[in-house]
Amino acid sequence: MLETPGPGGALPTRPRASASGRLRALLFVAPAVLIAGFVVIGGIGVALVQSVGLMPLVGEAEFSLDAYTANADDLLTGLGLSLAIATASTVLSCVIGLTAAVIITQGRISGRVVAALSALTIPVPHLIGAAAIGLLVADSGLIPRALGLTPAQWPDLVGGPWWVAVVLEYTWKESAFVALVVAGVLATRVAQYDETAALLGASRARRLRHVVIPLARPAVIVSAVIIFVYTFGSYEVAWLLGRPYPEPLPVLAFRLFTSISLTSRPEAAAVAVVTTAVALIVVAIGMAALKRTPLWR
Amino acid sequence: MSATLTLDALTKTFDGAAHPAVDAVSFTVAAGECLAILGPSGSGKSTVLRSIAGLDVPSSGRILVDGTEVAGLAPERRGMAMVFQRPLLFPHLSVLDNVAFAGTVAGQPRREARADAAQFLDLVQLGGFGSRAVTALSGGQEQRVALARALAARPRVLLLDEPFSALDPALRTDMHELLAQIRAQLNPTVVMVTHDRDEAAVVADTVALLTAGRLLQHDSVPRLYSRPASLAVSRLMGGRNEVEGTVSEGVHYSALGAIAAPEGEQWPDGVGVLVVRQEALRLGEPLPGEAGVRGVVAASALRGPRAHVVVDVNGAALECETAAISAPEVGTEVTVSIPLAGCAVLAA
Repeated sequence: MLETPGPGGALPTRPRASASGRLRALLFVAPAVLIAGFVVIGGIGVALVQSVGLMPLVGEAEFSLDAYTANADDLLTGLGLSLAIATASTVLSCVIGLTAAVIITQGRISGRVVAALSALTIPVPHLIGAAAIGLLVADSGLIPRALGLTPAQWPDLVGGPWWVAVVLEYTWKESAFVALVVAGVLATRVAQYDETAALLGASRARRLRHVVIPLARPAVIVSAVIIFVYTFGSYEVAWLLGRPYPEPLPVLAFRLFTSISLTSRPEAAAVAVVTTAVALIVVAIGMAALKRTPLWR
Repeated sequence: MSATLTLDALTKTFDGAAHPAVDAVSFTVAAGECLAILGPSGSGKSTVLRSIAGLDVPSSGRILVDGTEVAGLAPERRGMAMVFQRPLLFPHLSVLDNVAFAGTVAGQPRREARADAAQFLDLVQLGGFGSRAVTALSGGQEQRVALARALAARPRVLLLDEPFSALDPALRTDMHELLAQIRAQLNPTVVMVTHDRDEAAVVADTVALLTAGRLLQHDSVPRLYSRPASLAVSRLMGGRNEVEGTVSEGVHYSALGAIAAPEGEQWPDGVGVLVVRQEALRLGEPLPGEAGVRGVVAASALRGPRAHVVVDVNGAALECETAAISAPEVGTEVTVSIPLAGCAVLAA
C-alpha cells in the first residue's frame, strides 16, 4: 500500500496565480467593488462631510459641530430608544429563532411545520408585516375585536410607550431568519454529535446546553449582529407602529432630511453618522465575540 | 464496567424496506469479552450496534444487559458508549473537556471530572494533550481521545463502530495494541463492528459473522476459519479451497483421494464439499497428521511477500499460500500437504 500523507503531512501547494490571472480576477470584481465602495464609502463620506458643515446647501463651508448639538436632546433620546428597540428585538429573535431551529432539526412533523412557517415569513416585506401587525394588535384591530374588548380595555401596543408592536414585528420577521440560518448550520453537524452526547449519558436538556447551543453559537452571533444593525437603522416599521415622539434615530433622521428648514439637512446627516457609527461598533463587538468562540478558531 | 449482553431474535425492518436489515439475530457476549460483528457493507452490522445503543428501535426481539431488558430506555440511560468511524470530538471543547464530558453531564464538579478525564488520557497515551484544541490533533490521536471519552463514561458495554477503518495500517496496528491494553486493564465488555477479517481476528475473542441481516455463525476466531458452518461462511472468511466429493464412514473421497475426518469431528455420509484454508496448505512432503497429494502448479500470483500458488490435483484446483521467495514456477510438479485437523466437510 502506498503511504498517504498523514494529517500532519505536507499538503501539496496550490499553484500561484499568474500576474495576468490576478489582473483578470481584479477586473472581474472591479465593477462590484466600485459600486459598493461608491455607495458605502461615498454615502457615509458625504453624510460625514455634510454633518460637520463642509457641504452646506447655502453659504460658506465651515467646519462646525452645530448639526450634532442642535438636536442634542432628541439625538440622545433617539439613540437610547433605538438601542432599546434593537436590543429587545435581537434578544427575542435569537431566543425564539434558536428554539425554532432546535425544533426544526429534531426532524419531526412539528419541525417541518416550523420550517415551513419560517420559510413563508422570510419573503414578506417589513412594511407589509408592519401593516399586518398594526391591523392585528392596534386597539381597534382584529384581535381586540375578536375578543370583544373595547379600545380602553386593550393595552397601547401600537403607538404606546413600550413600542411593543414595533418589537413584535421585528421579532416575528427576524426570528424566522435566525431559525433558518441556525437550522442550516445545525442540520449539517448536530445529529451525530447529539447521538454521541446521548451515548455519553447526556439527557436532552444537557445535550441542548452542552452540545447544541455551543455548536449554534457562531451562527447565532452572526445573525444577532445582522438583526441588531438592521433593526437599529430601519425606518418604516418604527414610523408606522411607533408613537410620534420620542423618535428612534432613523425616524428622526428622515424627518430632518425632509424638513423645509435649510439647517436640517446637516442635522439629518449628523443623526445618520451617529447611527452608522453605532452600527459599526456593534459589528466590531460581534466580530470580537465570534473570534472568541472556540468553533471560529 | 463490564456486563453481559444478550441479543434475542433481534429484528429490524426499516420503513418501506422489503427485507429486514437485521433478521432474528441472537448472541450473547459474556462480561469482559470482546465480540466482533463481521460482515460486508450493507450486512446490517451497524444496525445491530445502533439497536444495542438505542439509536435505532428494533422491530422485534430483545436486548438484555445483565439479564435486564433495555427496550424503551433512551440511549443516555443504557450505560453504553460508542466510538464511531469518525471521532466526532466536540469541536467547542478542549481535549480534556471532551474526555470529561460524561462526568460533566452527570453533574460531577468540573475539577473532579477533569482529574478523572486526565487519567483516561494517560491510559490512551495522550497525557499532557488535555489543554489542546481538538483541531490540533492527528487522525490517530483524535480516535484515541474518542476512545478515552467513551471509557471515561464507564460504559457497561463499549460499542465500536468501525473505529479504526479510517486510519492507515500502522496507526490501526497501534490502536489494536491500545485496545488490548485497555482490555487487560479495565476488562470492558466490547462489541465491535468491522468489515476487516484480520482486525476481527486480532481484536476479538469471538466473531459474529453477518450477511444480509442474518447471523451465519458466532464462534471463536480459529473455529470460524477452520470449522466454518457453511460454504457461505468459508467464502466470507476468505476460504479459497472447495473440493466436491462424497463422504463415507467419516472419509471424504474426491479428486484429492481419501481424506479422513480429524479426531472428534463427525462428517455425515453423502455428498459433501471439503474445505481447507489456503494458509494451512504447505508445499512439501507430508508430516504426521497431514495427507500428501501430487499435482502440477497451474498458476502463481505474487501478493507482496506471499504468493498464491494454484495446484491442479487430478482436475481439482487447490490454492496454497506460500512465501513468495519459495514459490514454484508454473508447470512444476509438487506435493501439497493437507493438515487433516484443518479440513472440514460442508453441505454443497
